[in-house]
Amino acid sequence: MRTVEVLFVIIILLGALLMTIQFAVLPSPHQAFGTNLRELSQSTLETLDGKGILTETVFKDSNDLAWGDLQKALSASLPPNVVYNLSVYDISSSGGVINYNLAKSISDAGFGVDSEAASLLATSPNVTFTITPEKVGEKTGENNTLYILNCNDANGWWITGYTGQSLATDLYDLLSSYFTTTVLLNTTDQLGLLLENSTSLEGTIQNAVVMNPFGEAVPIPYNYTQNGPQWDEGYYIIDASHDTYSKYCYTLGVKTQQYNWTWVSIVGYPLYYVSNTETFTGPNDHNSYGIHGMIKVGPAGLNAFLRGLDNKSYDVWRLEGSDWVYGDGSIAREIGVVQFTSQALDKCNYYGIYPSPYQTASRALPQSIEGDYHLERWAPIFELKSGYSAAATYRHAGGATEGGALTAIGLTRIPDIRVSVLALLMYYRPAVYKSEFGASCTSRVVTLQLGQQGGT
Amino acid sequence: MAGSTIDHMIAVTILIAALLLTMGVYNQMFASAVEYEGNRKVAMKAVDIINTACICPGNPEDWGETNASLLGFGLQDPEAGGYALSPYSLMRLRSSSNDSQLVYYDITGLFYNNISADYGCGIYSPVDDCLNYTAAAKMLGINGTYGFSLDIVPTLDVNVSQVPNEDYLILKVEVRGPGIALADVTLNYYMFQIVSGKGTYPSITTQNGIVQTGPYGSALIEFPNITDLDTAYSFIVYASLSGLKGVGYYSHDTIEDDPPYIVPLIQDFENGTIAIAHTWDVHFFGTPVPNVFYNATFFVLSQGFQLHQVQIPNSTGEVNYGQPPQIIQVPASEAGVLLITYRGRGQFRSIVLPWGVGTLAVSISFGGDPTGYSFVATELRQVSVNDISYQMKVSTWSLGG
Repeated sequence: MRTVEVLFVIIILLGALLMTIQFAVLPSPHQAFGTNLRELSQSTLETLDGKGILTETVFKDSNDLAWGDLQKALSASLPPNVVYNLSVYDISSSGGVINYNLAKSISDAGFGVDSEAASLLATSPNVTFTITPEKVGEKTGENNTLYILNCNDANGWWITGYTGQSLATDLYDLLSSYFTTTVLLNTTDQLGLLLENSTSLEGTIQNAVVMNPFGEAVPIPYNYTQNGPQWDEGYYIIDASHDTYSKYCYTLGVKTQQYNWTWVSIVGYPLYYVSNTETFTGPNDHNSYGIHGMIKVGPAGLNAFLRGLDNKSYDVWRLEGSDWVYGDGSIAREIGVVQFTSQALDKCNYYGIYPSPYQTASRALPQSIEGDYHLERWAPIFELKSGYSAAATYRHAGGATEGGALTAIGLTRIPDIRVSVLALLMYYRPAVYKSEFGASCTSRVVTLQLGQQGGT
Repeated sequence: MAGSTIDHMIAVTILIAALLLTMGVYNQMFASAVEYEGNRKVAMKAVDIINTACICPGNPEDWGETNASLLGFGLQDPEAGGYALSPYSLMRLRSSSNDSQLVYYDITGLFYNNISADYGCGIYSPVDDCLNYTAAAKMLGINGTYGFSLDIVPTLDVNVSQVPNEDYLILKVEVRGPGIALADVTLNYYMFQIVSGKGTYPSITTQNGIVQTGPYGSALIEFPNITDLDTAYSFIVYASLSGLKGVGYYSHDTIEDDPPYIVPLIQDFENGTIAIAHTWDVHFFGTPVPNVFYNATFFVLSQGFQLHQVQIPNSTGEVNYGQPPQIIQVPASEAGVLLITYRGRGQFRSIVLPWGVGTLAVSISFGGDPTGYSFVATELRQVSVNDISYQMKVSTWSLGG
């Protein structure tokens, strides 16, 4: 009787075992994982499209010989045990519905039970997507001219690794499409013509933008130097043993206000040196760091510029101990790492310019200059930090006279001129007209389906 | 009473037997499942490693081009992105062959890693500047848990051979994919014939052209102006077929039994300095020792597989046994081919150093040896190096038993 009971138990056990074997189908441990076909497919598509050749092929006529070459290339790329099917679909839009229509398909064998696929969106090489920027001043009728200082007889400072001339070329490439007229001032003499409102220069001097890519140095024309005919607009004798070129910076401020310029300093402390390699040839005409052809102005340069911009008198020199100090002395300071404002991040996407949103500011300007010189801070690129702004455009909008602006990028070297470009574009806000991406018959989807022979 | 006991005993015996049988089957199933899970982990690790190698440039990104310490492993070309590998980072991988393959140069006292593509064509990098397997495993976080190996081989096999002909030089170029001959492949070739130059230094004359392979995947390239079949030359051919690119290299020396007389040893990746050393200083082959007069030419590989010659300092010189090497410098950030022609024992010869592994389709093997492990997972990707198509295979195995 017990034996019969045990036999029942055994039948139940074996039944359970059989059911378990039936339902718990375990793969062989060696079949743990096949080659990742999806990623193999993706890498195949990307490498075949390395120089746009796959894209070029999939837009060719279905009888073109290039399809045969593509088939051979696929066969040669993939392992012998992998079969493929490459399908190309036309993308079209009808009544708001996207349709995918098979345009061409090539394959080398049928698939087993399992396959994986990856896809690539190809855009026809015959289609050009253009971006048309609005010209600065087009709406207001000012049609602002962009003048970029490209003086071959000047040296730059705080632009380590670059020259003023190379940065001028880069600025030209980045900004010229936004301006009706862009003029490179190739010598300090041409800069002199600009200061004198000469009609011999191309473009319109009134309401112009003047970019100085020489960093903390500013080119100075011979006429404004000690022996030049307009020396009193550039050179100033403080006392018997002290002289300065901060008067030249004052003149720049006056001209900026007079002609309603936007003066752009791309990096560091603005107007800290003046440079003219043809005139400043003396043994002491260097910046103490091995760059000759320039003379230090110091913090007085920026202070004098701001006083000129605000139509204040020039001479505010005072003696502190044994040192002559101009105005408030050194006003810029180091504030460390600063970050983009949300407005700047937004404009990065709008204009397609992507400098790092985190930068180090060593020459940030205090908010106090806004009250001292009747300035309004526009288009700030970085968030304020401890009452200091690392980069913004200061528009002169008060006091006895209005007009003129200073864009000061108080970052540390090496300069990223994209920050200056962004600052200028944020200030003038030209629109950008982009061509529509959804043009019909310009895009195709390529799918590459892979399977291991016999299935898995 | 006795019948009941016997009945119990039989029942218990049968029950125990049935339980043992059932447990054995279940045990087998569980063991199989556990092994499957273990293997699956290995396979997942293989995917992880190949993705890290292909899609991550490492840290710092340009570690292959600088002398900076490597903090994170990756082989992606940071400028090209996607599945493009850095030709310079690959030069920094210590070959997986054993230490006996290393080249010791007595004058600098350094060992050099030897990545040889073919006879007369190799990359010799200072071992101290190369990444070894253990360091890479540590950076990948698998040291002691998983083993791996990387094999990066050109997708196209471009084979060059000299066709017997009495009148002038004919070369045969064959292009094959895995198992198939490829027709209609465009071949962009460069022939560098070594000739007498000014003084004792050899010179090169260059011929180039474009042909296509025929239906059997081969093409004959004739050089009617090269009638001296003993002439020394180097031949490079770039093959392209609908986005698939390959390279073939062939050199011919007037003396083929001797080892090369000079060997270019990379001194500094960041500066692109290369020492041209006398081979006898690396391995003494007996007397007489040849004096060598070399002429080094660097060709930058540009888009469309064009080779452009670039002037390099100290391009000609003399190398003698036991003397300090001659130092030349190539533009470190430009991938290309350094062709060194030389005269020794009155004969012309040449040796080639690819600057960037893709320029001559050099294969790379890096990592451990999977021999003896029961389960090895492999992953495969298509990649490009210097626009040359490669296949990258990662093999991974568990070290945990």
